Amino acid sequence: MPDRTTAVIRLEDVVRTADEFDRLVSQALPVFLDRATSSTKRFLRETGQWADDVAHEKFVLRWGAEYLERFLVCGRSEAPCRPLFLLDSFVAKQHSQPDPFCYHPDLLTPLGRYLDGLVARAVISRDALIALYHHCYGMGPRDVIAITGLNELESQRIYKNFRRWRDSGWQRTMDEIGMTDVELEELVVQQQGHPQRFHHEAERLVRFAQAHYRKSEPDHYPCLSRGQWGAMFSEGHGCDYRLWHLVLCADCIQTAWDLGRNGDETIGKPRVELHVRP
Amino acid sequence: MAQDRDLEDYRACLIDGLKVRARRSACSSSDPIQVFVNEHRVGTLDGGGTETTFQIQIQTRIDTVELRSEDGVLLGGLSAPEYGFRTAHIPISGDTIQLRIHNTAQGGSATAMFTPAPSSWRRIWKTLAASAEATVRLPTVMMGPRIRVVAVAQLLLAIVVVGLAADRIAVRMAPERTPSLVTQAEAPWAASLPEVTKLERQLGELAQMQARTVDTIQLQQQGMAQLQSTITKLSSTQEKVVSNMLTVRQEMEKQQKGSGREVRQMTRLLMGKALSEQEQLEAEIHSLTVANDRLSEKMVGLEQDNEELKKKLKAAGVDVSKAVVSGHGSATTTRPPDIGQTPQSLQAADSRSNIQLQPFLFWVAFSEGTTQESIDQWLREMDGHKGVLNEGWQEVAIVQPAVPPDRFLDRIREATIVKAVRTSR
Repeated sequence: MPDRTTAVIRLEDVVRTADEFDRLVSQALPVFLDRATSSTKRFLRETGQWADDVAHEKFVLRWGAEYLERFLVCGRSEAPCRPLFLLDSFVAKQHSQPDPFCYHPDLLTPLGRYLDGLVARAVISRDALIALYHHCYGMGPRDVIAITGLNELESQRIYKNFRRWRDSGWQRTMDEIGMTDVELEELVVQQQGHPQRFHHEAERLVRFAQAHYRKSEPDHYPCLSRGQWGAMFSEGHGCDYRLWHLVLCADCIQTAWDLGRNGDETIGKPRVELHVRP
Repeated sequence: MAQDRDLEDYRACLIDGLKVRARRSACSSSDPIQVFVNEHRVGTLDGGGTETTFQIQIQTRIDTVELRSEDGVLLGGLSAPEYGFRTAHIPISGDTIQLRIHNTAQGGSATAMFTPAPSSWRRIWKTLAASAEATVRLPTVMMGPRIRVVAVAQLLLAIVVVGLAADRIAVRMAPERTPSLVTQAEAPWAASLPEVTKLERQLGELAQMQARTVDTIQLQQQGMAQLQSTITKLSSTQEKVVSNMLTVRQEMEKQQKGSGREVRQMTRLLMGKALSEQEQLEAEIHSLTVANDRLSEKMVGLEQDNEELKKKLKAAGVDVSKAVVSGHGSATTTRPPDIGQTPQSLQAADSRSNIQLQPFLFWVAFSEGTTQESIDQWLREMDGHKGVLNEGWQEVAIVQPAVPPDRFLDRIREATIVKAVRTSR
């Protein structure tokens, strides 16, 4: 505790250079994390969304860390500055947006946290985005290539994405969203016990998360009609569009699932069936 | 209590993650880098060993630009000013990305320029380009008039500004000096009202002119900034043109002169190629010999089996004939199999084993910067043989992969050093 107080006093001072910023902030990461976390907690309290439980505590810790990561990278270009107050303004700016994060009480259950974490990660990581095809629909690399209609050159990266996700990406994401092994095992048990109910609930929550995180897509990636999707597939453009939008929109994947298969009849119509492990 | 410990562990885990940050990325330097503007993914920057630039212009103000690897790790970023420019150099494993944001009242623009770490080859390339620039003056000719126009315009502006400033100073100085110089007798000339009014008007005009000149200078400076960016683009194009011309020239010289040194180099190259082809042939002959030995062993075994089979068939024939003699018509259904059929089945077995022994061929493109040692090591691990290298595609032959070809190729694609795989030329 005394250490933290000392750090706060120092962090109130001005840092002159980016290097000085890096040095100071890296020495006081716990203080900064607590600061960002308490700001997020205050935001939830003041907007009537707070409850005193572990799920909410984990939620604010996760978002505090998210903000802090961005602050560490972008804040250094603001030097000379006062890092502690710069963090306050940075977090306040995030909270001033209409939907700073995807909050819903149902997304604070283990299943909700798992799905929210996966979809949130897919927005910033192509590996996670491609892996979402597996976790939501049980697809492998070949199925992803077929359903998105990628050509030979474009499809090579898909294998790398799958491999990196299996090797490290999935575990890192689980660590970052605070999913314990016990919670993951419970999900598997629930799935085996009542598969129908489990998948139905998973689809409901996935749609909720997708609707929020699809806002992170480029502005020119709206939902399309089957005819428009067909034109895109046949003309062979919009690979990123297809990869991004189809996995983040449960309706569009139903619309366009058979357009890129090139006669491959082995892939059935995609239905949300959660695969917990990579 | 357990919940508190769970929370404390989670907090510690997050802090550890923040400490290692960019080091966590499992991506290689040749993988694309994602560009995010205001937390929206807007494109990728291809980090494939060459200089690449990504530009975007939007109608709203830019707050942040972030760079993330494909596994989502935040590699760098820049917070934008409300108005004006800001730049940052972000080093990423030896390479550099220069970020530049410009916010105006009309919106914002961002540029990310990837500059790979200079390699020895690239230094040689630059030296060649510089020497070519000394001989080929095409770009200078292209650039000359623009630079001259700008220089003359700047010089003229400077002269006008200096002249105006001197004029104004002289005018300002004049009223101060006048009282000391002008006597009472001279007063009617010096202090006539129309004269003073005229002077005031002239001063006003001069001030307006100066203001206009300052505006023009500012405009000129903006134009200069734009011109500089155009020059930068042109110079990169120029480098490419020069390098292309140099290559063409070298080719022409080679063809025209055919000097002894080049001939020797060519001979050496051809010899090297011939030697490598010879080595490949030897390796193929060796593998064929091994396969042949195996085949002949199998043939011997099969012939022995065949002999035994024939003996058994003969014995069976005798039994059948006995049965026929005993008068049961149904015995015809137990006709012994045609002995002549056996060689056919043997041939089929041979062809199957031939198919299995044929090497499985495919072509691999390796990631940028992959060393020959790592390629060789990878080939050794797979027990594969290197074939011809054509336009960046390395032919690889594998004798009898242990898994079906599709799964085998999937495994190959997953290798870090492999960029792409195909099964046809």
